[in-house]
Amino acid sequence: MALPKRIIKETERLMAEPVKGISAVPHEDNLRYFDVTIEGPEQSPYEGGVFKLELFLPDDYPMTPPKIRFLTKIYHPNIDRLGRICLDVLKGNWSPALQIRTILLSIQALLGAPNPDDPLANDVAQKWKEDQNAAIETARQWTREHAKP
Amino acid sequence: MKFGHIFKERLKSEGFPPEWVESAISYSQLKKCINRLTNELSELGLDPQTLRQLLKKVEDFNAANKDDDKPLEYLLAGQAGLGEQQGGTAPFHPMLLVYVNETTGELDSAHLNEETRHKLQLLAIDTGLSDLRVVELPDEEPDCLPSRTVNNSAGGLRRRPGYRTVEVPLTSDIEFFSTLAAELVGLEELQEREQRRMRGEIERLGKQIARQTDPDRRANKKLLAIWRQIFQIYVESDIFFGTTESDHSARDSEAAVERFEKFASTIASHHLVDQMKREENLRALTAFMDINRNLLQGLRFGEINRIAMTKILKKFDKQTALGVKKTFPQRIEYPDFSQHLARAVCAEVNTQILSHVPRIDDYTCAMCMDIQWRPVRLRCQHVFCIRCLIVMQTNKQHFCPLCREKTVFDANAENLDLEMASFLKKWFPDEVKLKQRHNQLMAGKDEYGEVYQQKCCVM
Repeated sequence: MALPKRIIKETERLMAEPVKGISAVPHEDNLRYFDVTIEGPEQSPYEGGVFKLELFLPDDYPMTPPKIRFLTKIYHPNIDRLGRICLDVLKGNWSPALQIRTILLSIQALLGAPNPDDPLANDVAQKWKEDQNAAIETARQWTREHAKP
Repeated sequence: MKFGHIFKERLKSEGFPPEWVESAISYSQLKKCINRLTNELSELGLDPQTLRQLLKKVEDFNAANKDDDKPLEYLLAGQAGLGEQQGGTAPFHPMLLVYVNETTGELDSAHLNEETRHKLQLLAIDTGLSDLRVVELPDEEPDCLPSRTVNNSAGGLRRRPGYRTVEVPLTSDIEFFSTLAAELVGLEELQEREQRRMRGEIERLGKQIARQTDPDRRANKKLLAIWRQIFQIYVESDIFFGTTESDHSARDSEAAVERFEKFASTIASHHLVDQMKREENLRALTAFMDINRNLLQGLRFGEINRIAMTKILKKFDKQTALGVKKTFPQRIEYPDFSQHLARAVCAEVNTQILSHVPRIDDYTCAMCMDIQWRPVRLRCQHVFCIRCLIVMQTNKQHFCPLCREKTVFDANAENLDLEMASFLKKWFPDEVKLKQRHNQLMAGKDEYGEVYQQKCCVM
């Protein structure tokens, strides 16, 4: 099936005007599949880390949200062991007017503001609530170990 | 190479109109002024070294907030009238002030060498007698304000009890600043004239292009697409300013020239010029390019004048140590020739020229990013193409993608925006046709499945 105009336009703009700290490059053999990297936001436990993600645009995109998953191991209450992300705009609050760039920005913001009250990784969220400082320290350590630039 | 020489060469070689060159900062004349001033100062024993030492002392005192011990200061007074008095009478009155102890006649500084001190004392007596340029300030009542300095509201001079303020008579510095100030005013006037002239040109060209792209004239059909493509490339070239999220700064002349060249070559590589058949179209395009070139030249002219001003002030300081490079620009607004003009003209080009040819980017559906054909206006006033809304309704997605109001749910044929439809048909005939075909194809696929093709296939 031919690639819809929307995906072509989005890809072009991502290349021409990249978002700071974010990159998204489509696979040559499958233009709906993107290799993504997100830099950890400043002053977060993820600062200094570069996180790899995969992003896939399903057939009915943009009517359904893109499928996104962290590939780099990350210690975060809203991201589970398999890299799945708990973020409202990726699920029920998706809107067809949202785009790859806006969604990736939301994910970057999620790194800067973890939300342990709406957890996906239950054990991490538990730790985050019990001893936030220790949890943040673990997140830092994981970032150093797994998210080397 | 010396800057004075480079400046002269650039003014000569870059093809500026003679009127501009005349208004440029007269660097060499100002330089001569500085030389004369240096002579005047050294005759008083105030060579740069001595002055630097003295002024350094002033700074130290300022830092320590004990300015009543100041031996001398250099003031740039009278700047206020600059805006109003454009007649040329120099509003600038720079003053080098020396404070002399009235009772002893001693200069208020231990750091001067004998000779200089002697000369300045003579000067104080001299000018005190002739009363030529002495600023006499009445003594303070020592009881009321013991050892405090107050600002004299009239001239901004500080009165100090027990000291007489003597102004060192200098003429070349007055000449220097009045020349420079007058030239800056002249540059500003030149800029205003240029802006008016260009505005006229842009307006004329705008009308021409409006006529040539009027979609109601059959002959214009092809031309509209050509002009649109040219303007699209023009806008995307960001010649004078960045327009993206991360970069919206003004460009310097070098970057702007480079981008303009790129714009010109892109147009050439798309063979857009070749497609313009009629003479009047080519003339309009040439006029458009000329306006841009004109602007680029203004940008360059402003830049070298700015450099000239900075350099001459730097030279002034280096040779006299009077430290005006920091204070002078605060006194006077440097007419930002380049930026002002560029902003004004770009805005004008946008409203007068580019707006005659609507851009497709302003009429795309936020979902498919294609032209919003047919346009459906939801209750919340957001417009999308009919195809995307049908898909949403089929999926039972009821909320507006932009404002999340439940307006997709109850949209029906009455929401078709007929006015917008005829506008799009008029200005984007090709895009509308393509999208229409695409919509039909997709509708067919909905009904008959993936194998559906537009053309009727006879097996």
